[in-house]
Amino acid sequence: MLNLQCEHNRRVFVQAFAQMTLGVRLLGLRGEAYGASPAVKSTGKPAARTRAKNVIFLYMRGGMSHIDTFDPKPGREEMAGVQSIATSAPGIEVSEWFPRTARQMHQVALVRSMTSTQGVHERGNYLAHTSYFQTPTITHPALGAWTLKRLGSGNPLLPGNILINGSPQHPGAGYMESHLAPLPIVDPAAGLQNSAAPAGVREFDFARRTKFAELLNRPFLERTPHRAAAAYDKIHTKAVELMRSKDLKAFDIAQENAATRAAYGDSTFGQGCLLARRLIEHGVRYVEVEDDQNWDTHNDQLVQMKQMTPAADQSFAALLSDLHERGLLESTLVVMATEFGRTPKMNEVTSGRGHHPAAFTWWLAGGGIKGGFVYGKSDAAGDRVAESPVEMPDLNATIAMALGIDLEQTETSPSGRPFTVADKGRPVMPLFA
Amino acid sequence: MNGYRTTIAIVATWLGAAGFGIAEGRGAEPVDFERQILPLLYNRCFSCHSEKQAEPKAGLLLDSAEGLKADGVINVAKPDESEMLIRVSLPHSDESLMPPLKGGGQPLNEAERALLRRWIAEGAQTQDWRRFDHREPAVEYDRKPLGRTEVPRLAREMDAIVQKFHRANEGAKDGADQSSLNPAIDDATFVRRIYLDVVGRIPSYEESQTFLEDTSPDKRARLIDRLLASEGYVSHMFQWKADQLRVLTRGFPGQPGYKYDEWVKESIRSGMAYDEFVRRLVTADGYLWENGAVGFYQRDLGMPFDHMSNMVRIFLGTRLECAQCHDHPFEPITQADFYQLTAYTYGVSNLYSAAGYSTDNVPQWPELQKKLDAMDAPKGLRDFVSVTVAPLKRLTKDTPHGLKYPDHAPTAETRRGKPVDCRTPFGDEAPATVDNRREVLAAWMTSPRNPRFTRNIVNRLFRRVMGIGLIEPVDSLSPVNRPQQAELLNYLTQTMADLRYDERALLAVLLNSKLYQSECDREEPEPGEPFAMRGPLLRRLSAEQIWDSLLTLLVEGLDERKPRFNDRGMLEGSYLERLTKMSASEVLDRSKVVMEHHAARRAHSLELEQQRIALKQARDSGDKEAYAKLHKQFALVNDAFERYSLSLGMGGGEAPKETDRRWAGLPPSWLRAAELPTPVALGHFLRQFGQSDRREIDAFNKNPNITHSLAMMNGELTEAIVDEHSYLRAGLRNLDEGERIAVIYQAILVRRPTSDELAHVKQLFAESGTPEADLIWALVNSPEFLFLQ
Repeated sequence: MLNLQCEHNRRVFVQAFAQMTLGVRLLGLRGEAYGASPAVKSTGKPAARTRAKNVIFLYMRGGMSHIDTFDPKPGREEMAGVQSIATSAPGIEVSEWFPRTARQMHQVALVRSMTSTQGVHERGNYLAHTSYFQTPTITHPALGAWTLKRLGSGNPLLPGNILINGSPQHPGAGYMESHLAPLPIVDPAAGLQNSAAPAGVREFDFARRTKFAELLNRPFLERTPHRAAAAYDKIHTKAVELMRSKDLKAFDIAQENAATRAAYGDSTFGQGCLLARRLIEHGVRYVEVEDDQNWDTHNDQLVQMKQMTPAADQSFAALLSDLHERGLLESTLVVMATEFGRTPKMNEVTSGRGHHPAAFTWWLAGGGIKGGFVYGKSDAAGDRVAESPVEMPDLNATIAMALGIDLEQTETSPSGRPFTVADKGRPVMPLFA
Repeated sequence: MNGYRTTIAIVATWLGAAGFGIAEGRGAEPVDFERQILPLLYNRCFSCHSEKQAEPKAGLLLDSAEGLKADGVINVAKPDESEMLIRVSLPHSDESLMPPLKGGGQPLNEAERALLRRWIAEGAQTQDWRRFDHREPAVEYDRKPLGRTEVPRLAREMDAIVQKFHRANEGAKDGADQSSLNPAIDDATFVRRIYLDVVGRIPSYEESQTFLEDTSPDKRARLIDRLLASEGYVSHMFQWKADQLRVLTRGFPGQPGYKYDEWVKESIRSGMAYDEFVRRLVTADGYLWENGAVGFYQRDLGMPFDHMSNMVRIFLGTRLECAQCHDHPFEPITQADFYQLTAYTYGVSNLYSAAGYSTDNVPQWPELQKKLDAMDAPKGLRDFVSVTVAPLKRLTKDTPHGLKYPDHAPTAETRRGKPVDCRTPFGDEAPATVDNRREVLAAWMTSPRNPRFTRNIVNRLFRRVMGIGLIEPVDSLSPVNRPQQAELLNYLTQTMADLRYDERALLAVLLNSKLYQSECDREEPEPGEPFAMRGPLLRRLSAEQIWDSLLTLLVEGLDERKPRFNDRGMLEGSYLERLTKMSASEVLDRSKVVMEHHAARRAHSLELEQQRIALKQARDSGDKEAYAKLHKQFALVNDAFERYSLSLGMGGGEAPKETDRRWAGLPPSWLRAAELPTPVALGHFLRQFGQSDRREIDAFNKNPNITHSLAMMNGELTEAIVDEHSYLRAGLRNLDEGERIAVIYQAILVRRPTSDELAHVKQLFAESGTPEADLIWALVNSPEFLFLQ
């Protein structure tokens, strides 16, 4: 019974100390340094130009219809009267519900040949995030945890992996160390949870309390050499420091001017996108924003799309143009993903569309990806992939490659099983500019 | 989220063995083959070089004394020329290194190599050992049952064994210290610890005061009994079991998932014996609302192998998952072993193909089809019939479905594509037929003769209250993993069987022991050093213990407060029971109602959108009166819809109002963690402190994170506790300053302030305008509050 527990605690201890600043740490478990430049082993494969430093991963929860959004089928009866419109990219059309995003299409690469076998929300969601099939004996890390593990955080004071509006099912860090899990932001307008004293507690009240608490805590800490106790003391001090630090402002979208805030709009998703941009600007490596609108449109497809698309359209467009204007798009890879598409044939009873993993669309922009580009093709009705199928692990491998992460480097889970980022997905090379 | 909790499960035994090796290597004692060398061979060699393999690698059998004598393997005269020692000492870059890195093998460390070398140099003696018995023998058991009245005696016997161990250990070292435990704890420490360990929260001020004022000599034993019989015990025990069983109230789309949750709680409340509990889970069948235990078969995504891995991990302390795809790289467990075990449950409808979710499980289905055809029903109605009977499609039952070996490697060639016979991997053989295989499995698994079943639960319960298992990790039981305190584990294992698997009784033995009632070990064990427990380990409270402890300061009678749900409609247990018994025409009528409601709901959701737009326009126009009027008007419309839904049995509406005066005005979510729907949202206090998402076994973590400190300093619970109207502060009115300070200390830290602390507090009261709030805030934010000691 002896040593294992000790080994375990030692690791916990190392971890505990390393993650004192909001889960950021500078040393790996085995002591390797996480530098700014990723170590890419030469594998003899074509190495992509590493331009992307950060990722904003936009996740449309529920399974967003492809033909009603970025893979329209002009004139087909499946469209149920929805028109397609021209975009800033010659020859590329999108649905009429995305007029603002249409003007950004010269920056976007659409992948219209996404395909999967997972038609259940939870499983599709899991595959999209981890590139692995869900099993009950292990949880695989999401791409954000992989990215943070391999590349470290761009800002030593801020967490490297943040999830805005995430669902409780998000796989997080999976079997990896818990400090790699995304820090959840519940309400983008409220910023980092609990980072300010409650209303009514003035600064000097807070200072008095903290000082008094420190005074009282000393004896316990002195007679408790347990590392976890010391670690708690340290993070407490750090938390107080953070509350007073300027870096906290990275979480505060109220710092933005009125024009910028208006551009993103007042939807939760839009505010999440704005917060994501601020965080990226402050060096946060990986930010995921989930759209909490329900894209699971089983009923009244057209009505629901009319309700949901304006906020999505505005947010996409604002984010892309804002990143571009600030010169951040070169180094920031924006990805829009969802668990599956929706059946092109409308259900005659519910006027909605069912789950459709056989063909759907994701898109990418920035970070060294071609703009105004379409990869792959679905068939005339949008029912099946007609050309160049891409599976979710392939697309995640593309993201990893854009970041310069070695696709073949093996990671061993605590139970001794070997895994790689994006589960041997093949990166889609034509997407790179 | 898993973090490093399960770290190095695979190397459990060798670390234990190496520990002995290092500790005892200093003396002149010769190496003990069975205790020190055999575990190394078992975990590092047997996977390829044992009789378990149809074709052992290089024809080498290292699992017998005979095999170890094979040419050149061991050279007693020149130990360094032994092939075995050479191969395990190669650099990691060398492909000839044993065990091979490529297969996931763990190279031997320096201490292990030294041990191996010393054993060889001493003549490579195997003493009486002839060959390794891959079928770990069953445990002979034939003893009379014991009742709870025996607990005091059992606790004394347990202490005697602990003493004996320490004496032997100390004697071996320097023969000095005979008092082997840490000093006994005082009543205040005891009452906090026992509440946290048994009920899962700190005691309220009244609870600790009642205990401290009690002068009877057996008050500790009586409190233990009382707490073990309380509703708080059910909550705390549920948390522990739910993490193992991965219970989710919201994890079953279209099914009343909360029924599994309720079943587990009721099994604890009713005192169901542990072996019975496992038997009912393993043999569960029926609909979820008839038998909540079938949740066990609905939780693993319909994957029979994964389900079996999880089952043996939690009930037998054994990890098999490696062997699903290939022979286990760290133990002589073959893929065939795993297949033979999985064959016992492979016929369960939920665990393969679509049989667990099928119209074949709907009793009314054939009759319904006839009726629909006769009336030439439109697709819409047919769809809604399907929706209405959907819960009935998910049925857990036995089918004749059999398992076959895969058609490809790595299974032995003779087996490929052939049917798999049920066979147990250790203990008694348990032949079974298609008709009785689950009953046979359950009987084998839960028998006291099973070499791992009782050991597993005892080791886990020991860990639960002592902070560390006698074997760690708890899921690394194997024939060679012998704990340092083997006698203690054997004694408790036998005691658990004698007590007929009464978990409360076994816990009572542990909790009444001197070992438990000693001051905790405040330092964690050092790697590589033998560790002899002198008291429970200091440890951070779980997320649930922290949440529940904070709520103890906010909610009177917390354990009794239960959630109040709104109508669950089509997932309500009573409705589902009726549905099961409906005739085909009743189902048809019901389907029409469901269809009607669906149409109305669609219309209503469009209406809601119109309302949203109208309200926005009214707000933007600045006409407050118009806005208020609209708001009122819409509320009426929406209420009417809710009433309409309820009248059709479609659920909804508001949860019933709180009627208990103690809880009037409190948020409905201020409940024991065990009562909150799971999985809990990200960003919730419980998730911040590492609560499991119940995706995997025990997927909680206790790693400190800055969000903890932020939540404790600025979060809503702390704010509410500090508030002058809180339950805690309401109890302070009419007390003088000294009394208030004493009560605050006792309520939060369950002790009196020291004289130094009192001096600081007095000064605070002299200087601050809000001393009470400051003191409460400081104590809630102390590390002492977060730890069990």
